Amino acid sequence: MKIHFDWRLARVVDDEGNVLDEIEWDGHMGPSIIAKRLSMIQQGRNLPEVTTLSERFPDAEVDPIGAMSDPEWPDLEGSAEMFQSATEKLAKMGVADSSGDIDRRLDMLVSSAIELRACWTTSEARCVEWAGLFITEADLDGQRLDIPKAVANASAISEAAETLGVSVPKYDPSDSEWESMRSQASFVVETSEMLEQQEGAIRDIANSHVTSLSALLGPISAAKLVVLAGGRERLARMPSGSLQVLGAHAAMSAHRRGAPPPKHGAVLFSMPQVSRSPKWVRGKIARYLAGKASIAVRVDHFGGEPWGSEEVDRINREIDSIKDKFPKPPKRG
Amino acid sequence: MTPKETPLGWGVKRQGRTLWTRNAVKGVSVRGERRKREGRIEWRRWDPTRSKVAASLLRTKAEPSDLLPAPGSTCLYLGASSGGTVSHIHDMVCGADNHHCGQVVAVEISPRMVRDLVSLSERRRGLVTVLGDARRPEQVAPFMRGKADWIHQDLSIADQAETFVRMTDSFLSPGGVALLSLKAASERSSDGDDESRFTKAERILEGSELNLLEKIDLSGLEEQHVVFSCVSQSSIN
Repeated sequence: MKIHFDWRLARVVDDEGNVLDEIEWDGHMGPSIIAKRLSMIQQGRNLPEVTTLSERFPDAEVDPIGAMSDPEWPDLEGSAEMFQSATEKLAKMGVADSSGDIDRRLDMLVSSAIELRACWTTSEARCVEWAGLFITEADLDGQRLDIPKAVANASAISEAAETLGVSVPKYDPSDSEWESMRSQASFVVETSEMLEQQEGAIRDIANSHVTSLSALLGPISAAKLVVLAGGRERLARMPSGSLQVLGAHAAMSAHRRGAPPPKHGAVLFSMPQVSRSPKWVRGKIARYLAGKASIAVRVDHFGGEPWGSEEVDRINREIDSIKDKFPKPPKRG
Repeated sequence: MTPKETPLGWGVKRQGRTLWTRNAVKGVSVRGERRKREGRIEWRRWDPTRSKVAASLLRTKAEPSDLLPAPGSTCLYLGASSGGTVSHIHDMVCGADNHHCGQVVAVEISPRMVRDLVSLSERRRGLVTVLGDARRPEQVAPFMRGKADWIHQDLSIADQAETFVRMTDSFLSPGGVALLSLKAASERSSDGDDESRFTKAERILEGSELNLLEKIDLSGLEEQHVVFSCVSQSSIN
């Protein structure tokens, strides 16, 4: 005995296919309410008619795909049109829901920040070189941060040189050349501000979305891990060995072809505990840190007590003791 | 001289190395494809390099029309993406204003793609868009008016063949046709190279309730892909 149903009809059918009981939905027909009912079925929740029937027939098994295979199941007839607009409505509701997904929003922010940083790095280097060609006495390392601002805010190259406190250039750029140079410098200044803004937004979201992981790795790295894994849930369900090599895509495919395995991915390597440690302990520290990060994100995802500085300090002490245990590089055999 | 035209069924024909379907929404291209007028009929080019179903029609050694759904049938498309191929299936199954009374259920999990699909289904009656997981029968079943006469699965996930067997088991009607587009790159790397991944999938299909008709190699049109064409076994018994 089974209960077959769709959004408008529920039936109790015995093993011979006889209809023992049925309830037809008698609510007001409209795309919104039908969409709501379809969504209930899709989520595996019982419609009221199904609940009533399974109370009347406790032995009947609810079969979510039964109605579809039932040759006796009545056609949609007049309500086909209504059904179609209900499915459109439901799909649109689902699309609208996706902006409530923090993982997707974090993906946009982190991806944008990564692209912006790549763009900023090249433009900033060009800006400094360009200014340096004319302003020969400027210190391109010591004054690096001031150069884009100085050029962007000056009305002529000599003014930029004065702001930087060095003597004016021997040759001036032409007017159109100077304008190009100045607007390129303003672009660099604007890009750094935008980058700061975006990274600020990432920090805010990461601190609340993955609190413990942010405490352990810093919010930016935590957010990058979530994005690389394709969402917090996927990161939480990931073995720590996979987390350890997130961002080491090329090295992993090389490993599949026989190269030695990567010790860590890009995100873990950006942690000073890994990158500032001697080469021979980096793998050990990355493995340890990945294990802890994996626990942290599980705490965040499955609603545990968020980690604070106490847990993080303990982990950092443990990392130091790993380093102390291996003060010298291993002897090559 | 233009190559000879061969009809492959209602609203679909082959001309040399391209295919055309009879446009259900006159004057509109779905993704910028060419259209041509022949009297009152408008045809829409079905690009075999952008659609695996179209590619398999050109590459099959069997009768291409056997791979296609009939007008008025119930079709299930798992992994509809933005609806390029779906629109051509709709052309031949539903036609303008769904005068064939067909149903094409297009399932897609990505909201970004569903957005495009919904606007397609607003113009094409009989096309039902479902935002859901194409691996889970209970997420798809509420939208089907009955079992499907034609199923195509095109998912970028691991275990494509297992999913296909499970889904056709729930949804394929007796005598129905099922096509599996298998993307080698989506399977686990531990399964070996492309060829051994195809062989593995072939073994899974052979061990299932389905009758495997042909393994269609799409190289030249779609790399690293094969299409398996199957029919439900009950049609043979």
